[in-house]
Formats: sequence, structure tokens, C-alpha cells
Amino acid sequence: MDQRRRQFEAQALPHLDAAYNLARWLSRSPSDAEDIVQDAMLRAFRGFDGFRGGDAKPWLLQIVRNCWRDHAGRARKHEPLGENAESLASGEPDPEAQASRRSEARSLESAIGAIPEEFREVLILREIEDMSYREIAAATGAPIGTVMSRLARARALLRERWLAQNEGSTG
Amino acid sequence: MTCPQALRTQALIDGELDPVAAEEAERHLAGCADCAAARDDALALRQALRALPYRRAPDSLYAVASGSLAANERRSLGARIAGWLGGPFWAGALSGTAATAVAAAFSFLIFAVPSSQLAGDIASAYLRSLQPGRTIDVASSDRHTVKPWFAGHTGVSPPAADLAAKGFGLVGARADFLDGERSAVVVYRRGAHVIQVFAWPGRGTRLPRAASRNGLSIRFWKSGDLDFAAVSDMGEDEFSAFIRLYRGGRE
Repeated sequence: MDQRRRQFEAQALPHLDAAYNLARWLSRSPSDAEDIVQDAMLRAFRGFDGFRGGDAKPWLLQIVRNCWRDHAGRARKHEPLGENAESLASGEPDPEAQASRRSEARSLESAIGAIPEEFREVLILREIEDMSYREIAAATGAPIGTVMSRLARARALLRERWLAQNEGSTG
Repeated sequence: MTCPQALRTQALIDGELDPVAAEEAERHLAGCADCAAARDDALALRQALRALPYRRAPDSLYAVASGSLAANERRSLGARIAGWLGGPFWAGALSGTAATAVAAAFSFLIFAVPSSQLAGDIASAYLRSLQPGRTIDVASSDRHTVKPWFAGHTGVSPPAADLAAKGFGLVGARADFLDGERSAVVVYRRGAHVIQVFAWPGRGTRLPRAASRNGLSIRFWKSGDLDFAAVSDMGEDEFSAFIRLYRGGRE
């Protein structure tokens, strides 16, 4: 039992940040993300015997994704948009640079949030988690060809929205 | 974006093409305005996305997820590193039991005094930095962010070109200590592999050309008045390619 727990920790804990990051981008709420990841870790631990070795990251992220689906199904209509800004850049020396970076980050974040989920997740996994097509395919359960076309679509959508937003705010 | 080669161009940007296919894709890019524009857009977005603050799991979540971890910090460090090694890099080669054995081996290696202090220090600093939440102090693929950060935090400012177009994305930087001296660390990534370049003020000491520790390769060189060491878990050929690129990208 303890042995199994230790093996699980060794495999899963290094990817806890990635799990949380994905949950956070999907749910757009820190508290929901925490709930989702807690669920996911529990589910992953229970299903650990089914993990066939190899890279645990796509495996764990797939569970996070499923938990998010369940969670979203239970709690539709819960829109915690205002919470998005709270964890933004810190530790930057120049307050002015920090402020401008923060507003830029916020507009980008809301642009990402406006993209449909299936596109948002491949974009996050690719650009922020730096996962390969194959890993993303494993995490999302989609064929590689689908990953590629979703990624292309995600980039086009984000670019569109981000540009539209920047025009809206800077004139 | 109606070019029939659009997905191949995208695969190039994402580092998914082998060298032959990559060369073809680059040739196509040179003559295709659609693809060139798509590439520029994608790289600009990437830069913006990677500059966003990374949402790390809160400590409370670690506590919940790990339960017994805090009780045995030392064991868990080895276990975490083994998990990390057992995952992306030794993919498939290690079963859970083997990973636990490796954890034991690593907790020994990391805490034992290495025969060549410098190589050992570098390998340890690298491994330590891979604990969740420790890899980088400043996350950015923009050297215009990284370079000034170095100036303010390390007093040493090594090159930090983004080599993403060549398959090695700049992820950021951190400060570390080697032999009590502040060093600047530039962090790159290729797929699941992490490459770190350490730079510190040279003191005329002779450097070995190469070393390996804990399954990591380390290469040393001098440039100007700085000493450098690059460390990675990548294969030798890829690693050599990276070092050529990095050194060629001198400012």
C-alpha cells in the first residue's frame, strides 16, 4: 500500500503544476481548479494500476480533463471571470513595466478564455506545457491529425480575438 | 491560411519535423507569403503566451496530493526526481518498482560528495531545479526580458537568444550558486528535455571539456571572461547541435 502510494507520488507529483495549470485554464477559476485537481489526483491514484508506464504527464492530464468535464457538467453557469487577474505577474522590478505587462497579460488571458474549450486546451498544452503532438493526442484522446488542425484553428482564433481586443482598447 | 502546406509549416514551428522535412518546410516558407505570415503570427503568440505568469499548484494542493511527503522530505526529493526521470526521459524503460530503486540511487548520488566538485554541483543544481516550481525565476522566451533580468539578479549576462525556430525554445532564466558564486542560468527546452546553460565569471581555472553525472551530460567552454557549462539529459548528437547553435548565437 505504502509502496504503491510512493510509486504514485513519484509518477504524478512532478506533474501537479501542469495539472493545476490546465485545470486553471479550463475552469478559469482558482478554486474550481483546485477542486478539479484534487478529484483528478484521487481518481488517478485509484486508477494507477491501469497506468502502463511511460510518461505520466499525458495520462494525468487526461484525467484532469475528464474531471473538468464532470465538474463543468455539474456546475454550468458559474462564471468567475473576475478572479482571473489575481495571480498575475509579480516580482518584476519596475512598477510601470509591471502594470503594462499585467494589462497585456489580462487581455491575452481573456482572449484565450473566449476560445472554445477544444481549441483552448490544445493551445495550452502545446504552448504553455510545451507538449509534443503525440503527447497532446494522448492527453486529449484525439488523433494527431485532429490535434494539428485544432491547434491551427486555435492559433487563428486567438490571433483574431487578441487583435480585436487590442484595437478595442488602444484605439 | 489556405496554403495546402499550412499544417506542415505549423509542424515546423512546433519542432515536430525531422531535419529533412524541416529543410523542405523552410524552403517552402521562403516562397510562401501565407505560411510566412502564419509563422510570424504563431511565434508572436507563442512569445506572448509563454510570457504569461505560469499558474503553479498552490502548496495546499501539494499537501493534499502527497499526504506523507512532508514527513519524509529527503526521501521524497529522490522520489520526485526519479519520477521525473522515470517519466518523460526514460519513457517506458522503468516500471514503478525500478523507479523506486532509482529513487534510492539518486538520493544517494545527490547527497554524496561528487569527485569532481564542479560537475557534481552543476548536475545537482540542474536536478534540484526540476522540482516542481523551481525551474525558473523568470519565465520568458524574449531575450529582451531575460537579459535585463540577469543584469539585475546575477551580475552575469550570458547570451539568451530564443532558438525556438531551431527547435530549442527559450523558457527563461534563474539565478543559482556554484561554489558559492552567483551564476546565471539560461533554460531551454526541446520537447520534454530541459537544457540549462550556466555562466559565471571565470577565474582562470581550467575547465574539463565534458563530464557526465547522474545520467546528465555536461559540456564546458570559455567565452570572453565568462565560464560556461551546459547540462542536459538529451542524446549526445542533439546536445552538440544545441551547443553549436547557442555558441553561434553569441551577441
